[in-house]
Amino acid sequence: MRQLLARHPRESAVAAAWLALLLLVGALAPGFLAWDNARDLLVANSLYLLPAIGMTAVLLARQIDISIGSQFAVVGLACGLLSKAGAPSWTLLLLAPLLGGLLGWLNGALVAGLQIPSIIVTLGTMVAWRAAIKWVTQGAWVRDLPPDFLWFGMGQAAGQALLVGLTAVVFGVAVWAAARLAAGRAVYAVGCDAEAARLVGLSPSRVTAGTFVLLGALTGLAALLHSVRFEAVQPTAGLGLELRVVAAVVVGGTAVMGGRGTLVGTLLGVLLLGTIGTQLTFLHVNPAWERALQGLVILGAVALEAARREGGDE
Amino acid sequence: MSEPTRIATFQPWPQRWFPNREWLLLVVLAAECAVFGLLSDRFLTATNAFQMARQAVEVGLLATALTPVIISGGIDLAVGSLMGLAAVCFGWLATVVGLPWPLAALLTLLLGAACGAVNGLLIARLRLPALIVTLATWSLWRGLAEGLTGAIANYSDFGPGFLAWGQGDLPGGLPQQLPLFAVVVLACGVLLHRTAWGRTLYAVGHSPAAALHAGLPVRRAVTAAYVLSGALAALATVIYVARLGQAKADAGTDYELLAITAVVLGGTSIFGGRGTLGGSLLGLACLTCLETGLRLAALPAELAGILVGLLLIGAIGLPRLLAAPAGETGDFTVKNSQVAVLCAAVLAAGALVAGSNWMLVSSLAEQTAQVAPAPPAPAAPAAAAASSPASTPVAAGGLTVAMMPKSKGDPYFVSCRAGAAKAAKELGIELLWDGPTETDAAKQNEVVEAWITKGVDVIAVSVQNQEAISTVLRKARAKGIKVLTWDADALPDARDFLINQATPEGIGCTLVDEANRVLGGQGDFAIITSTLTAANQNDWIKHIKRRLEKYPGLKLVTIKPGEDLLDRALTSTQNVLKGYPQVKLVMAISAPAVPGAAEAVKQSGRTDVKVIGLSLPNMCKPYIHQGIVDCIVLWNTGDLGYLTVYAAKALHDGTLQPGSTTLTAGSRGEYAVQGSEVLLGKPFVFNKANVDRFDF
Repeated sequence: MRQLLARHPRESAVAAAWLALLLLVGALAPGFLAWDNARDLLVANSLYLLPAIGMTAVLLARQIDISIGSQFAVVGLACGLLSKAGAPSWTLLLLAPLLGGLLGWLNGALVAGLQIPSIIVTLGTMVAWRAAIKWVTQGAWVRDLPPDFLWFGMGQAAGQALLVGLTAVVFGVAVWAAARLAAGRAVYAVGCDAEAARLVGLSPSRVTAGTFVLLGALTGLAALLHSVRFEAVQPTAGLGLELRVVAAVVVGGTAVMGGRGTLVGTLLGVLLLGTIGTQLTFLHVNPAWERALQGLVILGAVALEAARREGGDE
Repeated sequence: MSEPTRIATFQPWPQRWFPNREWLLLVVLAAECAVFGLLSDRFLTATNAFQMARQAVEVGLLATALTPVIISGGIDLAVGSLMGLAAVCFGWLATVVGLPWPLAALLTLLLGAACGAVNGLLIARLRLPALIVTLATWSLWRGLAEGLTGAIANYSDFGPGFLAWGQGDLPGGLPQQLPLFAVVVLACGVLLHRTAWGRTLYAVGHSPAAALHAGLPVRRAVTAAYVLSGALAALATVIYVARLGQAKADAGTDYELLAITAVVLGGTSIFGGRGTLGGSLLGLACLTCLETGLRLAALPAELAGILVGLLLIGAIGLPRLLAAPAGETGDFTVKNSQVAVLCAAVLAAGALVAGSNWMLVSSLAEQTAQVAPAPPAPAAPAAAAASSPASTPVAAGGLTVAMMPKSKGDPYFVSCRAGAAKAAKELGIELLWDGPTETDAAKQNEVVEAWITKGVDVIAVSVQNQEAISTVLRKARAKGIKVLTWDADALPDARDFLINQATPEGIGCTLVDEANRVLGGQGDFAIITSTLTAANQNDWIKHIKRRLEKYPGLKLVTIKPGEDLLDRALTSTQNVLKGYPQVKLVMAISAPAVPGAAEAVKQSGRTDVKVIGLSLPNMCKPYIHQGIVDCIVLWNTGDLGYLTVYAAKALHDGTLQPGSTTLTAGSRGEYAVQGSEVLLGKPFVFNKANVDRFDF
């Protein structure tokens, strides 16, 4: 146990911070640990966890993608329009990741193929997709969706279970793949040292492009699962998603410079950031201070790790 | 990164002057000037150049601040948020405390430097990643600004001597802030390119370990870069406040993104070690020209986003493509086939966008074609033309009315536009419809400035921030342009008439009265607003609170942001329902917040909670029929747009003037005029019984 904690200082720091907050709020506001609150938190955070898994891979490969908020909106709108055009909702479960993967591939091809820094490519696609959406929709919502769109026509309870279950399966597969599959290890290898990875026979550009496709596909899936919760699709959906997801992943200990980080850390990061807002509401904190406190919690979690590291060094 | 190291002794001048191929941006800039110069005769004028410079100074300062930081291999996402904190600090010191403004500005600069030092110490001393530290302080600074002011305070009582630093002209039409900006840029240029500190940053960016081993003061140099960045962000704030005449917690929202875009477009490597200050400024110039040029040429502003995206990828990708020597980087060489596929994909995307827009434009053209024979110009233009050269009509003989929403994509304004377009068609008026794509106080001013430069006949604005917009509207009136406000008012001396659909007081009272009816005179309720700093919503909340004094049984327990997003409104409402179980009513006061809140109530299964609010009927119909939304309060938005265009025409023709008591608006009949306000009527309550009669 101690070894595990020492090997993953950031993960353990975030886990400690999260558990401490959980217990504190649980003690002060008993309703917090109730089942229906846990359910709502699970559903809401599933939608952040899916792109966060992909973002972990992208960051591990030493890249970043800040266009996911715009991708989210594009895929969400496409799902709404397809459904209105008569596509059965189960086909959307395939089409959404496909379309997302295509958008991700465009980023990946520009980054890996043309060697343009990922932040520039994705800054470009982020602005471009968002502007294109505004132009085409002129702000109009996609309304009057067919009845089988809402929760895939399964009703709320089953729909929520599907949403959380699907996310859990994806997460499980991703953890297994990162640890056991050659593809997973290749991401770490390329992120650590692309040149060395190339010398052992990997193709860094293909691996890099692959992480973008993965992120795009998961973002697409999240966009679909997000949309089925509402009676309409909003073209501004996903604004600010990239910042939230990147924050969760880096708080969870993934290094921005690549090669280091775990999916469990990402899960913890998503949970920490995803519960603060609810906790502050339960504590009846003035909403005007919420943003400041969120910033402090992020800083605290990271500083905790730095303090441990300093202590260990000397 | 495996960039070949450059020895900077004897290099031909192109490499010396443009080490990162910044000349490409000069080409882009020249192309922009040529294209927009052809499309609009107002683009290549000194007035426009100074106008663009005035707008660009604040982001320019941020870009200047960010260049050394990014060269050192770091990033500072917190500069925009710091502007919020600095604005609040400066506003409070200069107006509430009453310090002379230079002293207040100095203290604000110190605050900025201190905040920068916090970032710098955490990054350089504790060796935390810059991205995560500044992401945290990005929340923290804005959060402090919101917390300290309750997100409401808006300081606006500044003296003319101070405001001149943002709005004043020097002899020759030179904006007063421009010399200051030039001095700062020059100083930073010298610091970055001609001192040991600057070279240290390049070394750190290139290889932190090597810099450390070479005995360079890495920590001190990096910390200094962040301190400088904080101080410059504070300076940008002071000028921002002077330009807008108001200081509020939302100052500089998203400015970090603009600044970073300018810096990376200017050739600075995000991995550090490469870049120039000149490149960043060139990048900024390209972005500013693009946006202003599109506006002056009356092209859709959304095009700017798409072009910026292509520009970023093109300007950085093209040189790399040209320079990539085959075989050098092994695995990374691109096959021609791959390039072909990529180009095809980009072209296809472009064609798709172009095609959809062609359809859009042609459909609009069809609509206007029916009224193509321009109606004989009324007698009034003669008077207007005599008063000022600025009002020479741009459309052949027709009248040009420029109408601005608070935010273009907002469904509320989209529905207003439909009515306005209908009226414009009936009257044969050229209607320009433009505005910020998100609610942004500074953007509205920029659009009005562009319209003044363009020379429209009537400007009609739905005002986001009174104090901020009034200065520029007065300028428009001084140039002989008629000014209307609609939906939300400016200061009364800054406009001719207000098209008043409902006062904030009327909205507040109606909402509270409805809440009282639903709750039966007794109970707790919560408000889901837009953002906590949104000016309109805060105005309504003020009146809601005032009206609540009449109903002692009602209690407002909390106000949560819904950020105009369905899922944020959903989450906020879910939290409220569980954190405040006694709440029996949710009052959602932004259009997307009502369906978001209703969905939360529906998912919770609570039948004892009702939602009311301010929204569009079409968005809420399903929830109204399900009985979750009891009622929504609004007016006929299409009529509002329709009436505004008719009022613009009447104002221009002189049939609407001080002293008028009625105004006839086409098929909608007669409206009352009271003082300088045209009244649309009382807010309307949509409920289960009547909602199906409306489609907007």
